[in-house]
Amino acid sequence: MGENCLSRNIEAAEKRESAELLAVIPAFNEQGNILRVIHEIQEELPLADILVINDCSEDRTGLVARTIPGVKVIDLPCNLGIGGAMQTGFKYAMRAGYLYAVQIDGDGQHLPQEVPKLLQAIQEKRCDMVIGSRFLEVESFRTTWCRRLGIRFFDLLFRALVNLRITDSTSGFRLYNRKSLEVLSRYYSSDYPEPDAIVLLKKNGLKVCEVGVAMREREHGCSSITPIKSPYYMAKVVLTILFSCARPRR
Amino acid sequence: MFPGSFDKIQWLGITFSLIILLSVFFLVRERLLKEKYSLIWLLIGLFVLIVSLFRDLLDGFSHLIGVYYAPSAFFSLLIAGAYLLLLNMSVSISHLKAQNKALTQEVGLLRLKVEELQQEDKQSE
Repeated sequence: MGENCLSRNIEAAEKRESAELLAVIPAFNEQGNILRVIHEIQEELPLADILVINDCSEDRTGLVARTIPGVKVIDLPCNLGIGGAMQTGFKYAMRAGYLYAVQIDGDGQHLPQEVPKLLQAIQEKRCDMVIGSRFLEVESFRTTWCRRLGIRFFDLLFRALVNLRITDSTSGFRLYNRKSLEVLSRYYSSDYPEPDAIVLLKKNGLKVCEVGVAMREREHGCSSITPIKSPYYMAKVVLTILFSCARPRR
Repeated sequence: MFPGSFDKIQWLGITFSLIILLSVFFLVRERLLKEKYSLIWLLIGLFVLIVSLFRDLLDGFSHLIGVYYAPSAFFSLLIAGAYLLLLNMSVSISHLKAQNKALTQEVGLLRLKVEELQQEDKQSE
């Protein structure tokens, strides 16, 4: 559904003159952080357009974001989770003809001043998606041993499945070009899509690379993945990845 | 094959299957159940009806698959059928979820488009 419209909109893309980069901010109950995130992006990336995806927040995230002129806000009528919310951003970026889209989480964890590093990498290394990694060539980032273990596990899995070294496969701080946006606006898994997207892009013959970045430790709120949920998370993600590998290329 | 020769359990089975068949018929007639999903229920109803009417069929079948206690064979068949039906339901739910996601995203995108158009409208006035 909608694929034809998408390809038609690519033509519209070539005619566009304004911003080339879209910053997509997925946000669920982030009224305490969203303003700062938007201001930081406007300061560090004055040429980028900003799109907030308000994933049916229970607080005033959408209203707060709208107070800043020039910021586009999509209010989703139902909560879709991070995957569905980001995919909305991918679809928007495709249709509006942006050359690049970058995900910057609404909790303020991702630093907009690091985006130029991603842009440089995508252009110099000719990648289709660049992942901002906390663990690559950057001073150590404190995280739980549990998450470390999980990331290590994914590292082994990716090396075995798609012959790719990824140090931070769960990082959502990513820059996409149109090729990867096209693939992911067609399919992006719902729950914890980051590791799966790597496999998906590789299967579609696209290039994924990483660049080391700094990230901020969270100030408000807490991670969505609790110790109780994490085995379930791992099982679901691994299953999703294995199925992505088993599926014929489309 | 005359009514007097039926056991109590057969009457029960016949009644039950008729209830299923009639319910499905009326549900489809009132468009509360899609024809597509009615098929499997009609088949289940017919299966129960036939097995209740002809007891020997079940005995024959249980001998065939090496089950000594005929009702067990009947239950196994019904459970297997129920599993398939549940799998079918899960597929339907997954399909609905995917459609729902696409629609939700589309509504969000369209809302933004409407807002932008309204703003343009205001500016041009």
